Amino acid sequence: MNWLRIRELVRKEFIVLFRDERNRRVMVVAPIIMLLLFGYVVNYDIKNIRVALIDQAHTSESRKFIETFSGNKIFMIKSYLQDPKELEQLLLMGKVDLGIKIAPDMGSRIRKGETAAVEILVDGSMSNMASIRIAYTMLILETFNQNLIKEIKGRDINYGRIDARIRTWYNPNLDSQHFFIPGIVAFVVMLISLLLTSIAVIKEREQGTMEQLIVTPLKAAELIIGKTLPYIVISVVQMIVVTIIAKFWFSIPIAGSLVLLFFATCLFLLSTMGVGLFISTVSSTQQQAMMTTFFFILPFFMLSGFVFPIANMPLGVQWLTYLNPLRYFLMIIRGIFLKGVGLHVLWPQYLAMAVIGLILFAGAIGRFHKRLD
Amino acid sequence: MKKEFYHLIRDPRSLILAFIIPLCLILLFGYALSLDVNNVGTVVVDYDHSDVSRDLIIHLGASPYFHIEGYVRDAAQVTEYLDHGYTSVGVIIPPDFSRNIRSDRETPIQVLMDGSDPNFSNITRGYVNAFIQGYNQKLLTQFLNRNGMESIKPPVEGRIRVWFNEDLESRQFIIPGIIAVIIMIVGAILTSLVIAREYENGTMETIKSLPINAGELLVGKAIPYFFIALTDVLISVFLGQILFGVVMKASFWIMILASSLYIFVALALGLLISTVTKSQLLANQGAILITYLPSFLLSNFVFPITNMPKVLQFVTYIVPATYYINILSGIYLKDLGLFNLWPSFVVLVFMFILLATVNMILLKKEGL
Repeated sequence: MNWLRIRELVRKEFIVLFRDERNRRVMVVAPIIMLLLFGYVVNYDIKNIRVALIDQAHTSESRKFIETFSGNKIFMIKSYLQDPKELEQLLLMGKVDLGIKIAPDMGSRIRKGETAAVEILVDGSMSNMASIRIAYTMLILETFNQNLIKEIKGRDINYGRIDARIRTWYNPNLDSQHFFIPGIVAFVVMLISLLLTSIAVIKEREQGTMEQLIVTPLKAAELIIGKTLPYIVISVVQMIVVTIIAKFWFSIPIAGSLVLLFFATCLFLLSTMGVGLFISTVSSTQQQAMMTTFFFILPFFMLSGFVFPIANMPLGVQWLTYLNPLRYFLMIIRGIFLKGVGLHVLWPQYLAMAVIGLILFAGAIGRFHKRLD
Repeated sequence: MKKEFYHLIRDPRSLILAFIIPLCLILLFGYALSLDVNNVGTVVVDYDHSDVSRDLIIHLGASPYFHIEGYVRDAAQVTEYLDHGYTSVGVIIPPDFSRNIRSDRETPIQVLMDGSDPNFSNITRGYVNAFIQGYNQKLLTQFLNRNGMESIKPPVEGRIRVWFNEDLESRQFIIPGIIAVIIMIVGAILTSLVIAREYENGTMETIKSLPINAGELLVGKAIPYFFIALTDVLISVFLGQILFGVVMKASFWIMILASSLYIFVALALGLLISTVTKSQLLANQGAILITYLPSFLLSNFVFPITNMPKVLQFVTYIVPATYYINILSGIYLKDLGLFNLWPSFVVLVFMFILLATVNMILLKKEGL
């Protein structure tokens, strides 16, 4: 092992990378754009539920009913309609999320002490959003009912009722950005490091310069270190940049330790470098390498719990996720950002990531050796 | 064109990937990826140990939305479970729970929830509220009966009807959306490499010397990929239907028409990226950035456009996938026909013409 030779190779690699201005742009601009884009797009916050109303009763009761909706910040009454056909059209075109139809007999039924039905049409296309909207609507209805009963009876009915005090931890305002942005940080690091590593080796092979490298006195181990070190450095720098953006642009609190975060990034890069090298040994053109990278990234991404919760997956697939290094990295990164937990909680994730990383890296080096001989 | 086919066949891995990626995506999204929330893992602390609190817990466990994973000792242990991610919800019943209820006083229970994932916790919060509401109704009836009062009917009852996706399954909107993503991957990302490859290998000069003009070159390059992408669409439609019961409500032929049109746009975009960048690495990066990510993120696929900041909402208007997904949701969920969907079709046609023209002009300038 000759560190001088490695140093020269690393230097060469950096020069090659940064010489091309467009390369620089890919490395610097791409992660930032991705973080900003994801940060603003991935948003499941419930705000502005768009409502269209048909009031066929026109009584004080129905007006009061409408007021409970218009007085609520979450609901936004888009239009008051006459014709149910118009309502259907608005729902079909996706212009409103919710249609509320008040039947003509609302006032008379309430005064008689009967139950008046209110028809609520929900656009269920996006089922998760629809579930949440329904829940909010039911809550409003319940409040309306309680107030009305109190008014009719002239007093509160004191019975032993349960008051559920719900406290949400780690992300008390249920802010989407707090949940997703740490995930995006992990994803950006994976994407860039994986792609750059695999391309770096393939390019040498495509241009025939690999042969030249092999005939130099460089040993295989030196070659591998020289080839991966620059990308580890670049990825760590990117990690720092995106973390800074997350913290200061999106004001995501980082509750835990930055040192642990750095440590986790290094362990995670072991896996991505391993996969990147592996891809470079099984591909011979850049097109193949990119397609193969894509092929790896998709399951890594989908089966990590980034957007789609792991608990929802069938058991067989849940087992598969244990092989996914991104799953552990995400748990660590969210644990550190949101929960502020330390090694005493996260050590199994660190351990799993280290084991997977070592296996992948060792395996890739083994294959790489064979290709060189 | 024949040459491009040869290229594809000579490189069987790219070809296989062009089919395997869609297959995996459909299977993955259909089976594994769901935004629906069921069986929320719940632990309970019962400080009260009475038949009233046990009744509450039994009802909670019987609800399809909650899955009681067990009892824990105290509130501190709930915190520990939440920290480790072993459970999502902890219900803490205070010691005076049954005493309060028996003496007709309102009594709190504490519900601790892991709020990291807002989608999950918003839905779960809805479930908790609905459950408690239902249980309170039961307590109210008991109270009224005990005191010989007549029952109180709720003045207003919401009759909720869900349209377009009656069972509220996320797969019903995710599967059609994934078709749009697949087309972009296969169409734009693969084709983004083809012209860049000619430049990198230096064969562009050879092509320029051939009696072939820019239009012919583009058509020849695009046709093989068109058929691959169309096959992918058919596979996806077929699998979605037989494996996951995601069935089109409107006509199959409108779907094919829309898909073909969208594939044209994707191919035109891919080829344009290829012509502009002239390098495979940059073309690929560009294609991912310009085609794949927007069609995943800015198209109403799983992330609602109405929640985005205004600026990004404007950007979604220039993302082709927005229009295709709008058409698909019309076809799959809403049973809309050409009569309602024509604006989206027109936009796609316009996009295709624009992209193809720009590309031709650029290639002409290069001397083709």
